[in-house]
Amino acid sequence: MKKLCHYLRLLGVFAKFSLMSVLEYRINFFAGMLAEMGWMAVKLLYVAIVYRTGASIGLLTADHILLFIGTYVLMTGFFMLYFGNLASLPGMVQQGELDLYLVKPVSLQFLVTLRRLDFPFFIPNLIAGSVMIVTGWRRAGLPVTWAAVLGFLFFLACGCLLAYSLFLLPYLLAFWTVSVGGIGDLTAALWDFNNMPQLIYNKWIQRIGTFLLPVFVITNFPGLFVMGELPPGMMLWGMGVSVLFFFLSRLVFQRALKRYSSASS
Amino acid sequence: MNPYLCVFRMGIEKALEYRTGFVLSMASAAFPILIQTTMWNYLYANGDAARIMGYSHGQILIYTLLATLVSQLVSAGFEWEVNSDIKNGGLNKYLVRPVAYRKYCLLSVMGQKVPRFFVVGPAMAFVIGFGVWILHLPLSAVRIAVFLGSLFLAFVLNFFLFYCVALLGFWLTDVDKLFGTVSIVLTVLSGGVFPMDIFGSTLTGLFRLLPFGYTTQFCVNIANGRYGWEQIGRGVVCQIFWIAFMAALERILWRQGLKRYAAVGG
Repeated sequence: MKKLCHYLRLLGVFAKFSLMSVLEYRINFFAGMLAEMGWMAVKLLYVAIVYRTGASIGLLTADHILLFIGTYVLMTGFFMLYFGNLASLPGMVQQGELDLYLVKPVSLQFLVTLRRLDFPFFIPNLIAGSVMIVTGWRRAGLPVTWAAVLGFLFFLACGCLLAYSLFLLPYLLAFWTVSVGGIGDLTAALWDFNNMPQLIYNKWIQRIGTFLLPVFVITNFPGLFVMGELPPGMMLWGMGVSVLFFFLSRLVFQRALKRYSSASS
Repeated sequence: MNPYLCVFRMGIEKALEYRTGFVLSMASAAFPILIQTTMWNYLYANGDAARIMGYSHGQILIYTLLATLVSQLVSAGFEWEVNSDIKNGGLNKYLVRPVAYRKYCLLSVMGQKVPRFFVVGPAMAFVIGFGVWILHLPLSAVRIAVFLGSLFLAFVLNFFLFYCVALLGFWLTDVDKLFGTVSIVLTVLSGGVFPMDIFGSTLTGLFRLLPFGYTTQFCVNIANGRYGWEQIGRGVVCQIFWIAFMAALERILWRQGLKRYAAVGG
């Protein structure tokens, strides 16, 4: 518990310094927000199309879909907060830049994956995602009870942990292959599967996206829980898979580190 | 040997330098196609999407498939290099030699597109074949030839659009994030994600006046049989007009920019 508090305090310090450094160049800060808003516009196009056609996907009406896409936008914000660290990992391995971090008295994985937090990417997604979730929730007439809200937040937290662990894994390949060119494109494309609720895909894609490469768990489970459409077995899977992948990412990171040769430093 | 031919060849070699990355980035284009195709199939099967969108089911499917492929061919991606040349003084070596920087960039990007064309071309042929034989879209050999011609013009137009953006590096200190914004905004406005004319007649009229739609949406709507010959003729004229406009704008930006260029480094 003491260790957890220590790391949370450290995360707070990283957040403070990241915010200070980005606000030093304010034009960059706003340009970053603008760039993220461009990407968000693409996600909003999906919402616009759903509302224009007035289509429903099984139990999901356009308002439910808004809730799901809102969750996806919010999770994108959390993901983009630290994504830059994952993307820069292969470069650090190539250039031998991990040496400096290796000697610090904190977890190396924590340090290299969370040291810089990109608030310009986070803020627009946080605002737009929250607005879409609240609007979708209200318009769909879903219950606003403590159980529903806490459950939603719990699966959101599970999704954050899973997104971090699952999308860190491809970048760890850099310890073996040095160059992971194209992995970024592939990862981003995989993330975009959540542009629409999982129920739109056929059974096989849903199974793969839930059990094999659990990208659907990240953004669909909070909404499904609020709708009362998440069976107990799937609730357990939602929690378990997040913890499972987190430990898997820890294990692979430690294995990967043994291959680090510190070249070029 | 013609120096520009060398640049063209170097572009081909550059594209093939990181083959795994090339294959993975091409593979990643399959996911948005799968997502959108699934979405359209669902919307058309469960509602009156054809009437609301103004596209038949076949047309929208061909649009989704072709727009992704066309985007792969007309996309820029060289703007970072131009900006780096401006910032780090790399431009010096071109200024003192008898080469036109604009032509150098154009030929290099064209070379880089060649390997991509060999992957995208057959996929495009397959999609068009699918459109003709399975979805019975009204496609003829002439229409396909016009589509290929418009594709080339779209590539040149997109090149000039991004070249003008890249030249802003003469004035702005950090354009990294600006490039990101411009790239995604232009992809959306060009119809690279969804056809922009499904969002109502006002927006359609507005996009007709802007150059962006002529880089993707226009070409794809020739191939899916949506545009008549009159519309195609008007569109080609607009493509040529915008290329001329952007080329003139680029000349002005280049001349003014060079006056500010400090030539530090290089």
